[in-house]
Amino acid sequence: MDYGRPALADALAVEYVLGTLRGGARRRFETLLPAHATLRAATQAWQDRLLPLSVAVDPVPPPPHVWQKISARLDGATPAASTTAEPGGAWNRLSFWRGLTAFAGVAVLGLAALLANPRAVPPPIVVVLAATGAQAGTAAAPSIVASISGDGNTLVTRPIVPVAAGADRSLELWAVPTQGPARSLGILAGGSGTVALRGNVMAGVDTLAVTLEPPGGSPTGLPTGPIVYAGKFSL
Amino acid sequence: MVTNATDWSERSLDLSRLLSRASLGDRAAFGTLYERTSAHLYAVVLRINRDRAQAEDILQEVYVNVWRAASSFDAAQSQPLTWLTRIARNRAIDSLRRDRTQPQIQSLGTSAGGTDPEDDSVYDTVADSAPGPLDLLSRASDARSLDECMEQLSALQRQSVALAFFHGLSHAEIAEQLRQPLGTVKSWVRRALQTLKDCLQGAVQRDAARAGD
Repeated sequence: MDYGRPALADALAVEYVLGTLRGGARRRFETLLPAHATLRAATQAWQDRLLPLSVAVDPVPPPPHVWQKISARLDGATPAASTTAEPGGAWNRLSFWRGLTAFAGVAVLGLAALLANPRAVPPPIVVVLAATGAQAGTAAAPSIVASISGDGNTLVTRPIVPVAAGADRSLELWAVPTQGPARSLGILAGGSGTVALRGNVMAGVDTLAVTLEPPGGSPTGLPTGPIVYAGKFSL
Repeated sequence: MVTNATDWSERSLDLSRLLSRASLGDRAAFGTLYERTSAHLYAVVLRINRDRAQAEDILQEVYVNVWRAASSFDAAQSQPLTWLTRIARNRAIDSLRRDRTQPQIQSLGTSAGGTDPEDDSVYDTVADSAPGPLDLLSRASDARSLDECMEQLSALQRQSVALAFFHGLSHAEIAEQLRQPLGTVKSWVRRALQTLKDCLQGAVQRDAARAGD
């Protein structure tokens, strides 16, 4: 399905906000949201329309022990610690990725060699996107890691250093083929995203790039802003 | 009227400040945020999941989540109470997904066959003193000057939307509740929301035109 189609996005978003989208469909919708600007915009619009209806509900004070439990659970957890660093071990450690990219050069890793079982599902392909602004002679800083699942259906990105576009800009991820125009893979909020790879969006692609775009993504469907991160790979 | 649109916007600035302080780790600000919003969110959750113990657990999860995600709140993107309500509604709706597969509430589910028409209806299981979903819709429409828009909906359209929005019922559950075919209910809801959308957009455009005079 093409989630960029406004009519489909609107139909899904209204069911999501109203609450009639349930179960697997609801979870699927939530995984698609971060990477699809059209879906997010439609969802936001329906939230703006419908959620204020909630003001009519008579307040019901919760019993005091609810706050006591919340308060007990917050002890020892600060917002900063939990939002900037998920407990992800090596995945999130900069030194790990620095070592990896230094070793890999082009920044392509097929993890097949690490797997003993030849019948295993094809390994994911890891692409490291480096900042493009580096001066000649200095190493480009690895900034975002993208992992393409072995079956080629999903791409997940994670920032390994803080990545921000500024309040009035969005970071948009592109699949760049050796020939022809770049194809949008969606918006990366803070460098994180999950993309369902549909059709042959990755055909002939040898580069992933992130550009700075107006809020919500490129208005033209093609990159309009500067490339801020990029990484090459081979499928 | 319990709440009105003016309160809603006046509270926003205040709640935004509390949220941004909470995102910096200010527990006192977070406590104040809880004091000012928990009765509203608890009521929203309780309408969707009427089990008080579960609703309390959901509320607890909501605020732990809010504390952790406070820094992702963007005042330019949404109103704080809308943001909080969204988190609470999503948690409550997710709890239904798990819950309604359990046997004791199957009569609310889609298994039409053996359902006794005299079974407790959803209305009966809502506390008697609580206003019904239609009362809520009309109050909310007072709050947003939506009377006009709501009037364009048929009574059954309004009722379908209200059962879904306030009580978290699925299309199948609404169909059972109103004793109407599923396809009919789905098309009521779809058309009702389309009407509402068109009407609201019209209202926004009229406001904008007036502001431009």
